[in-house]
Amino acid sequence: MSAYKTIWKKEFKDALRDKRSVLAAMSYAFFGPMLMAVAFFFLISQLTDPSDVKISIEGKQYAPELVEHLRENSIVERETDWPAEVTPIELSIPENWAAAIASATPIAVTLRADWSAQKQQTDVKRVEQALQAYSAQIANYRLILRGIDPRVIQPVQVAKQDMATRGSKAAIIMGSVLVFILLSVFWSGMNVAIDISAGERERNSLEFLLSQPVSSQAIVIGKVLAASCFALLGAMLSLILIPIIFSFVPLHQIGMSVDFSLDMLLIMFLALVPLALLATSLQLFVSFRAKNFKEAQTYISFLLIIPMAASFGVEFARLKTPLLYYLPLTGQHQTFLSLIRGEAVNWLGTGVSAIFTLVVAVLLTYLIGRMLKSEKTVFGL
Amino acid sequence: MIEVKSISKSFKTVNALSELTFAARDGEITGLLGPNGAGKTTCLRIIYGLLRADSGEALIEHVDANKHPLKARSNLGIFPDKFGLYERLTVREQIRYFGELHGLKGHTLENNVQSVIERLDIATLADRKSAGFSQGQRMKVALAQALVHDPKHLILDEPSRGLDVMSTRILRDILREQRAAGTCILFSSHVMQEVAALCDRVVVMAGGKVAAEGTPNELCQLTGETALEDAFVKIIGSDEGIAA
Repeated sequence: MSAYKTIWKKEFKDALRDKRSVLAAMSYAFFGPMLMAVAFFFLISQLTDPSDVKISIEGKQYAPELVEHLRENSIVERETDWPAEVTPIELSIPENWAAAIASATPIAVTLRADWSAQKQQTDVKRVEQALQAYSAQIANYRLILRGIDPRVIQPVQVAKQDMATRGSKAAIIMGSVLVFILLSVFWSGMNVAIDISAGERERNSLEFLLSQPVSSQAIVIGKVLAASCFALLGAMLSLILIPIIFSFVPLHQIGMSVDFSLDMLLIMFLALVPLALLATSLQLFVSFRAKNFKEAQTYISFLLIIPMAASFGVEFARLKTPLLYYLPLTGQHQTFLSLIRGEAVNWLGTGVSAIFTLVVAVLLTYLIGRMLKSEKTVFGL
Repeated sequence: MIEVKSISKSFKTVNALSELTFAARDGEITGLLGPNGAGKTTCLRIIYGLLRADSGEALIEHVDANKHPLKARSNLGIFPDKFGLYERLTVREQIRYFGELHGLKGHTLENNVQSVIERLDIATLADRKSAGFSQGQRMKVALAQALVHDPKHLILDEPSRGLDVMSTRILRDILREQRAAGTCILFSSHVMQEVAALCDRVVVMAGGKVAAEGTPNELCQLTGETALEDAFVKIIGSDEGIAA
């Protein structure tokens, strides 16, 4: 039976001629990544701010070498006064600095600051690190002068290996981009889905369509496929535009690299296919119940909150349970995350969630078909 | 042949049809005449299977559209109560769409589309999108959609509403043509003139029941009136909801 193909073809053609539907699908795919890129631009310029840490230094005349060392580490003496609401970071160098250095006795240098102040934490840390580095440097000289290998006082050497690869750092930022891609299938087909269900009813063409010698299942399948095509068109546009737009964002400045390979984009697109079917069948399910376009729009806006809350929730709550790999929406999300982090993809999870998504979509489609056989839904009785 | 056999239907507390029985024969135009709210649309919707009767059955060529909707509708042309056009499609595309839904394809499809366009004299509209069409033009497109597959049965729900004299005449001509070709035509109306001018048989409906049945002449004889309108008023017992 090829009736569903006839309906699919007609609905798709009809939707393509609807400027509102096309605009809705395309603007999300286009302006979304643009907005995100602009946001990253600002974020990066903030993160890579090379400004000096300005502190108060008391008694700097006693230890010009130390001050010089601090300056090399971008820690300089403050020329302006501290603002009232900020606790000053003060370093005092004692008078006996030179004498103590010469006699190789410990010197008490005082660093006064508020360690609990969130905003100053990095500044204080930088000062501490610079002081410790200077201290270690002098210790090494002293040992060498006395003919001792400096390594004897470092029995245990901690080698810090930051497991955060460039990719996984990027994943934190890219998380929101991924959520955006996932949601594109919900956004892009939305207008078409409303138009071919509630819109069809509003235009009074639903009754005639349902009186044709075509099963209601075929009608629904055709409509789901048409709206899904639009959803996927939007998703494809996002997937093409995001790598292009992000190649202009200087992610490398914050030590990140995001590499959108063609394979990766292709896998993402394939993972979005069942999700698009689910999204549109869900939207059709809701908007076939609405009496007109406006009512359907209201319902669907509420419906959009579900995938948004789910994916942003998982993203920001850093939720970690293996179940996420197997569910619709979160499964695709996890696959995307693994892909962008350069980790091994949990293919079993990806497959199971794809099938799960597909099953729900088919079930919803079947339910809509049954709904259209009921006179209650058709005539809004 | 369309047979309606003691159909009853109620919506919640409203009794729309009760024990409605009549038949529309091939090669005849049967008019379903009744005031607004008599149950005409409900009856027609049950015949083409969009509504389910509480009891009784409606058969199109001995097939119940509620049990075998696809088979019953395959030989049926419908002009529904509400006909919305797809305003972003051209007339030809719309007619072709419904032809395809009736399983036509290839040459047969194109031939049927072209011939129905010529028959309804809408060649000048054929490649225009239907947004902004007049009521008469819309009626023709809807009729073309109903006729594209050459149905043996034609059901029309108040087809003349909102039409001017010229469009009404075209509609009548087409229905007479179809009758000559042996089509079974059932149409509902609350317009007396139209029924008198067109119908071979009239089924008068009131309150969900058949109030009288026969040729226009028979109805006049039955009531002892000379004009169908007076006969009609006598039959249904009031002149409420009738247009002359």
